[in-house]
Amino acid sequence: MAGSERNIFAGSRRDFLKAAAVGTVGSAFGPAAGWSATKTLSLMHESSFIKAYDQFFQKNLAPAYEKATGIKVNYELASVGGLQTRVATVAETGSGPDLTLNFFTWPFLYNEKYLDVGGIAKEAGEKNGGWYDAAKEAVIVGGTWKAVPFGNVGQLMCWRQDWFHEAGYDKFPETWDELLEAGTKLKAAGHPIGFELGHGFGDNHGWLYPLLWSYGGKEMEPDGKTVAIDSDETARAIDMARKLFKQTMNEEVLGWTDANNNKAWFSEQICCTNNAASILFVAKRDFPDIAKVTQHALNPKGPTGQRFHILAPWSHSIFTHTPDPEAAREFLRWLMQPEQVGAWYASAETYYAPYLHAYDNAPMWSTDPRWVPYRDSIATSHLPGWPAPISRASSESVAKYVVVDMFAKACAGASTKDVIAQAVAQLKQIYRVA
Amino acid sequence: MPSQAATLAVPSITVRRRRRGFRHWTEREPVFAWLMIIPPLLFLIALVGYPFVYGILLSLEDRPVAHAGTFIGLKNFVTNFHDPVFWQVARNTFLYTFCATLLKAVGGLGMALVMNQVFPAKNVIRAVMLLPFIVPTVLSTVAWMWILDPSFSVVNWVMFQFGLPRPGPAWLGNPSLAMFSLIMINTWRGLPFYGITLLAGLQTIPPDLHEAAVIDGAGTWARFRYITLPLLMPVIFIVTLFSVIFTFSDFQLVYVLTRGGPANATHLFATYAFDIAMGAGQFGLGASVALAMLPALAVVIAGLAFYMRRR
Repeated sequence: MAGSERNIFAGSRRDFLKAAAVGTVGSAFGPAAGWSATKTLSLMHESSFIKAYDQFFQKNLAPAYEKATGIKVNYELASVGGLQTRVATVAETGSGPDLTLNFFTWPFLYNEKYLDVGGIAKEAGEKNGGWYDAAKEAVIVGGTWKAVPFGNVGQLMCWRQDWFHEAGYDKFPETWDELLEAGTKLKAAGHPIGFELGHGFGDNHGWLYPLLWSYGGKEMEPDGKTVAIDSDETARAIDMARKLFKQTMNEEVLGWTDANNNKAWFSEQICCTNNAASILFVAKRDFPDIAKVTQHALNPKGPTGQRFHILAPWSHSIFTHTPDPEAAREFLRWLMQPEQVGAWYASAETYYAPYLHAYDNAPMWSTDPRWVPYRDSIATSHLPGWPAPISRASSESVAKYVVVDMFAKACAGASTKDVIAQAVAQLKQIYRVA
Repeated sequence: MPSQAATLAVPSITVRRRRRGFRHWTEREPVFAWLMIIPPLLFLIALVGYPFVYGILLSLEDRPVAHAGTFIGLKNFVTNFHDPVFWQVARNTFLYTFCATLLKAVGGLGMALVMNQVFPAKNVIRAVMLLPFIVPTVLSTVAWMWILDPSFSVVNWVMFQFGLPRPGPAWLGNPSLAMFSLIMINTWRGLPFYGITLLAGLQTIPPDLHEAAVIDGAGTWARFRYITLPLLMPVIFIVTLFSVIFTFSDFQLVYVLTRGGPANATHLFATYAFDIAMGAGQFGLGASVALAMLPALAVVIAGLAFYMRRR
């Protein structure tokens, strides 16, 4: 019944009167099963960078589900950058859409307002070749699946094949040291590197956390209680970042947010940056000449011999306030069946790299070999805060740019010792270390 | 029949009388005043008073998003006190407000004095001067993003023409330059507000005062110093009051251009509070950062109110 109430209030006053009249008549003739069932569900998403992806849901998936079950699924789109405020409001007020898309660490922030979807996630895993471990890291909160993972918008190295070739490199450097050497030559030739060091959402984390990890550095010990940022490993990572900044970049990167490196790329100002696959998508669409010389590569290895990537997960959750949890669960279960989820992945080419192993060799990966690193990076991807358990505290560290600013301050001229000391002070406060 | 008509007529007369009485009642000055003031008052209570009180309550709680809060007294404020970024944010906000307000006051006064002269196409130019204020901040700020972009910057392009070596200054990348750029953009946006308000003030100054002063032999500077400025003072104070409040709590400009970077060099109270409350989901701590603006603003407002009363 609650479902039909929501349905009524979503409509106009006339609809309400009509429904109320029919409802009264219906109740006079005994229980009306049709009226007690949920008629609509709402899924909240953020406008995708890939238009075809949103359209696929609106034109194919939603009509197909309505045809199969009679339940209409509203696809509510928030503007780019506006979803988190919406999710926070919905979680706080306990009213609004039934399901939502999550980014980053949101399942850990809003977990109390999300239903356990472990059954659906496990079933989806069984039917689609199993989950990547990284996907589990992104959604399992205290042992409970608070979201069903979807895909990864990886952050990788994006490099100009032609300029690297001119400088004597036909492959992307394997280590940070080699990248420093190549970048120094390339900057001298008028092609600096441009890695974001400012307060963006993704392109800064995309290279700084992996740099820290590949040197063996970490913010916290795996126990999540001991600050571990003050180490020789961190100091060496900072020194590398400072050298990269001084020898291969221009000062402007300190103030960049996520849009600047894309602009610099398309105005052919930089030879290398760290970004999502969107650069190549846009290049293919609008800058075919640049697309020809745009290459992607995994992040370089550090002295530990390992390479890392930032995990940028998309996942779906069901709010606890949904009037008909079973209807919402049924829909999410249906969505994660191979027929649906596989086609939805494919509609975005490879932009949302699937967290399900069944798609490791899906046809979309063979459309352009340059996408493949985005698949290969998932196995070495982690959320900021790793190897400590992901928590509210790790989200706070990200929101306060503790790690990003530690590197940025060092690049702007502060000493390694000072920037580490400041990061320690901040982390102690954030993780409430006595 | 007639008796029936009489019984019908009686109530209609009393209704009319009562209606007239109601109108009389509403036209009494105290009643009318309250009737006029109640709607905006309710509006203020709902949209300003309630959020404000709620904000204070939040700041006294450990209140993660989507999680019940626990009362912790002033602990959030103690946390801020020990947070180096908080103090940097405080310094930034004061510097930003002081410099931008001063520049706007001086520039706005100059603008008003020029606009008060008689010259061709005066009205058109006055309208054009208002543009920075009319264009939505987010839009104009995106334009500034391009103006200051090192690769495309028109400012740098001009500098290159004068032989400055490439790459030019990183207007938003260098920590000091970034703050300087933001102050300039805020000044650009706020200048018309000052200019137009002061212009309105200038036009209330009776011309005969100036004429009398001219006859007495006062020069331009003396007339400005002893007639224009004193008579304009109340308007200048009111505009400054508004400007300080707006500038102190500025959000959009910083959020669009730098989001507080590089390394917190341009973080203001409003942007830092937003990042903590929304990004980190710490509503209590975020509210306490936002409320930290209050004492400083209260001092400014009280000072100005005191000044106005003395006059």
